[in-house]
Amino acid sequence: MSLPHFEYFAPRTIEEAVALLAGAGGRARPFAGGTDLLPRLQSGLVRAETLVDLKRIPELCAIGFDPASGLTIGAAVRLADLLDSPDVQRRYPAMTDAVSQTATVQIRNMGTIAGNVCNGSPCADSVPVLIARLAHLALMSPRGERLLPIGDFFKGPGETALEPDELLVRIHVPPPPPYTGFAFAKLPARTASDISAVNVGVMVARQGGVCGEARIVLGAVGPVPLRAHQAELRLAGATLGARLLEEVGRLAASETRPIDDLRASAAYRRDMAAVLVRRALVVAATRAGLAVADAAPAGDATGASE
Amino acid sequence: MSQKPCIGVNVPRVDAWDKATGTAQYTDDLSLPGMLHGALKRSPLPHARIRAIDTSRARALPGVKAVITSADLPRVRYGNWRFSPNTQDEYALAVDKVRFVGDPVAAVAAVDRDTAIEALDLIQVDFEELPGLFDLDAAMAEGAPRIHEETAGNVSVTREIDYGDLAAGFARADYVRDDVYLMPPVSHAYLEPCSSLAQADSLGRITLWTSTQTPYIVQCLLASVLGLRENEVRVIKPYVGGGFGGKMELRSWDVCAAFLARLLGKPVKFTQTRDEEICAGRRRHPMRLRSRVGFTKDGLLLAKELIVHLDGGAYNSMGPTATFLVGNLGAMLYRYPAYRYRGFHVYTNNPPAGAMRGFGAPQAFFVAEGQMNEASADLGIDPIDIRLKNAMHPGDKIRGFATIGSCAFTECLERVAEMSEWRRQRREMRPGRGIGVGCYSFVTGGNFNWFDTKYPFSAAEVRAYADGAVHLLTMAADIGQGSDTVLQQILAEDLGLRLADVTLYAADTSLSPKGDLGTWASRVTFMVGNAILDATRQIKEELFKVVALKFDTNVVHSFECKDGMVRVKGRPEKAVPFGEAVAMVQSLRRGEPLIARGSYTPRDMGLVAPTYSFGAQVAEVEVDRDTGRVRVTRIHTAHDCGRPLNPQAVEGQVEGCVQMGLGYALTEELVMRQGRTLNASFLDYKIPGALDMPGIDSVCVGGPEPKGPFGAKESGEGPVSPTAPAIAEAVWHATGYRARRLPITAEQVLRHLETNPTANDDRRVKP
Ligand SMILES: Cc1cc2nc3c(=O)[nH]c(=O)nc-3n(C[C@H](O)[C@H](O)[C@H](O)COP(=O)(O)OP(=O)(O)OC[C@H]3O[C@@H](n4cnc5c(N)ncnc54)[C@H](O)[C@@H]3O)c2cc1C
Repeated sequence: MSLPHFEYFAPRTIEEAVALLAGAGGRARPFAGGTDLLPRLQSGLVRAETLVDLKRIPELCAIGFDPASGLTIGAAVRLADLLDSPDVQRRYPAMTDAVSQTATVQIRNMGTIAGNVCNGSPCADSVPVLIARLAHLALMSPRGERLLPIGDFFKGPGETALEPDELLVRIHVPPPPPYTGFAFAKLPARTASDISAVNVGVMVARQGGVCGEARIVLGAVGPVPLRAHQAELRLAGATLGARLLEEVGRLAASETRPIDDLRASAAYRRDMAAVLVRRALVVAATRAGLAVADAAPAGDATGASE
Repeated sequence: MSQKPCIGVNVPRVDAWDKATGTAQYTDDLSLPGMLHGALKRSPLPHARIRAIDTSRARALPGVKAVITSADLPRVRYGNWRFSPNTQDEYALAVDKVRFVGDPVAAVAAVDRDTAIEALDLIQVDFEELPGLFDLDAAMAEGAPRIHEETAGNVSVTREIDYGDLAAGFARADYVRDDVYLMPPVSHAYLEPCSSLAQADSLGRITLWTSTQTPYIVQCLLASVLGLRENEVRVIKPYVGGGFGGKMELRSWDVCAAFLARLLGKPVKFTQTRDEEICAGRRRHPMRLRSRVGFTKDGLLLAKELIVHLDGGAYNSMGPTATFLVGNLGAMLYRYPAYRYRGFHVYTNNPPAGAMRGFGAPQAFFVAEGQMNEASADLGIDPIDIRLKNAMHPGDKIRGFATIGSCAFTECLERVAEMSEWRRQRREMRPGRGIGVGCYSFVTGGNFNWFDTKYPFSAAEVRAYADGAVHLLTMAADIGQGSDTVLQQILAEDLGLRLADVTLYAADTSLSPKGDLGTWASRVTFMVGNAILDATRQIKEELFKVVALKFDTNVVHSFECKDGMVRVKGRPEKAVPFGEAVAMVQSLRRGEPLIARGSYTPRDMGLVAPTYSFGAQVAEVEVDRDTGRVRVTRIHTAHDCGRPLNPQAVEGQVEGCVQMGLGYALTEELVMRQGRTLNASFLDYKIPGALDMPGIDSVCVGGPEPKGPFGAKESGEGPVSPTAPAIAEAVWHATGYRARRLPITAEQVLRHLETNPTANDDRRVKP
């Protein structure tokens, strides 16, 4: 199929972009890297008469870091830019892990993290860590700006809390809390560079010698990225060991709702959720400075590397 | 001064610069003034009668110039197997019936591509759906509907091979295996989708630029369909971005482009989308293979019975050859004293399968090598040792169809064992890792004249000029394998010239000498190379005469072309520069240029091929026992391709084969449901990428093949077969899991490990 005809705008300010979206009465789409949008337009999965390019808006192209407020990522920041950012490299290693395993070099040079989020795919690789990080999304519309916790953003496959005239302008990631470790793990479905069959973002907070608060977010195993609350609760206050992590992994897996598709069966996804959770927790615990008794080193096949 | 040799040395590909810089023009890059764009309306149903087609709304769309259906086209069926006209079962546009999802029913020509595609949706086809047959058993079942009226039982081709005393062999056997293997359909996944551009002159003669491996076949069949004489069709092959067997037939879009160009008096171009390529392009045959082999307890082969059902899909395409080749290849590699083969090519309502790299061999050897590996484990004989016991040797005969020429299979096995430190690694590898071996043999060219050509199988014209330049004209089709480079090397070497002295004009049927059957069966270097040597022999004869005359040489002397000179052997002072010698010949001929035509046709060389390549490959894998994921960490190959004329090109072919074999083993499969291909994009059809590639060592083993040009055999297809069985064996070594179907998925391995968590660790030496 061929790409349908559309009008293309490249505004220079957020206001102009929002006005264009609002003026199109739901028939416009923000256009970041286009790596999701263009294939979907071409295959007819998405319809749009107007594309509003975000890449010429200088404000949206910035990455900022402030020790008090954390990391701010503009909506036109490309995945590759994030990997190049010293602040991200130094303070948000799990984000680097996630973004470096998102797509390929070529796609990362075009695609944005905001696009990865707004696409609403349950298997988006940058999302689990953003959720574990309690990121907030700054959404702008003619009615003004609102700040939404990213955990409330996903409504279903391809469905988000975005209003048709709303633009994600920034992603806020809180500063790294002390004594915590984050980690990401991905099982690419078939080849080394493939969409995730399962992905996981976790946080472990250290409280003395035990685990304090923990967060576990799983992608590609439900209609939206999921928090494994029961597994998180099991970790709170626990001394980490291989047996416990096995149990937590299984618990997390039982909280998933995967489907069978061409990439993997539901049963395999569920089993792999347990493995990835376990492996990611080992990495996160190590980053938080917590020892895990009898744990096997995290395998690199899942990307749960330090 | 002596020149560098052109043969046996690494020569950069002549097309490398154009391809790397993007200046190479592929068919879809071509554009002619006034050119129209075509698109095909394809069947959404796997099996249906066409009650009526209404094209009026499509024709009314502004920008649409014509819409055609089978009613407009001459009713001529075509197919590559001209030798058996009853196998020619395809029309360019479906007549009365569609037989697979994607069967073309109508074609549009419009001012641009978007309009052409828009028009497709306006074509209304009134279908009456028929029951679809999607698997072998359903298609062969008693009373199954016929997919083609003429073919009762839906078996379109059968092939039988019998030799030796099978019953006696099995009776003597201490150990018999009887296994069924299922092989999946996979895509060629060539990067350049098919494209063709047709232009008609005022008399209706056609020039067709098309992405093909077989210009001559396209020329002949297109002429027959259009009711033209063969020589009123000119086929030009521009740069081709890979074919792997998928571009060796006349295709619907070639016919529609040419027909519409004649009808409208304007050039028309059709280019396939990836979706069309994956859903409706050719594919490697899915097969069910049942193989029974008998061994003595010492591991000697006694008998083999191979029964193969090929799911050919809706049309024969190259299926008849596949049916022959699996049977032939099933008897290769090892000495089988008795052999029985039954091959059945079955029509189904799946998309048609065709030729694909290694044609028949990946399936035949996955089975043969898999069984060899299983036998080795059960008999307690090392996998390499059991192969050495049974290996073919030079001069071996397979009754009725083949005589083995040069064969360094034993050396390949020994060498690959050395390269991979096989014996140590096999014993000592730590749990979770595995090492396995797979072997192969392949034809170097095909002897069987299934196209029923009336010309030589290959031809070359060499034109030598007084300025020292030489032109080579041939129909050989370089589709990325590098034949343009190696053919120039052969010519330059034989005339003692430099590569820069040679210019190649290839694959234009109006300029190239007739004929050439094209690029398949690893035939080009061997056959066209031999045709070139036939031509240069004639050129040299003329040149030697004038040099003899000039120096009044003694009759016992002989001559040579070397270092840019034509000279008396052993008398370097008696030499004439090449161009000067040509000028002398030309002058003696009162101006007639020095041109020679050479050809090659294999005769008296059996039914299959003039000669065969051999090789052995070892794969090392690492299995993640928690996820079942297999990572191939290293591949070692020892390949007998005769003499490697351009070693780095051979290495490139071996590595490309590994990439394909890796996909076949682990990630590739066209997922089918009721005749529909579900994974019709590279997002869902996964070929291995750079990150998946293991380190690869490859070496060439063996001496020159006497029948080959400068001793060469094949290297482009054989090495595609061993990778999957070698990986499968390595996975078994690591986990105890035996794959008898492909691809080997992580989930299969994981499920096996759940029930056998320490399987196979006990086979190793305890650390
Ligand atoms: C070959 C290939 C491989 C891929 N591999 C992966 C992978 O491994 N993992 C993975 O997670 N993804 C993968 N993707 C998907 C995709 O590349 C990523 O999701 C990418 O981050 C999308 O960013 P983009 O800027 O290109 O988004 P776009 O395509 O520009 O936009 C995506 C969607 O979000 C909307 N949108 C974009 N920006 C905004 C905004 N600021 N406000 C509101 N709506 C907005 C668009 O309208 C569109 O609907 C792959 C894609 C391809 C083509």
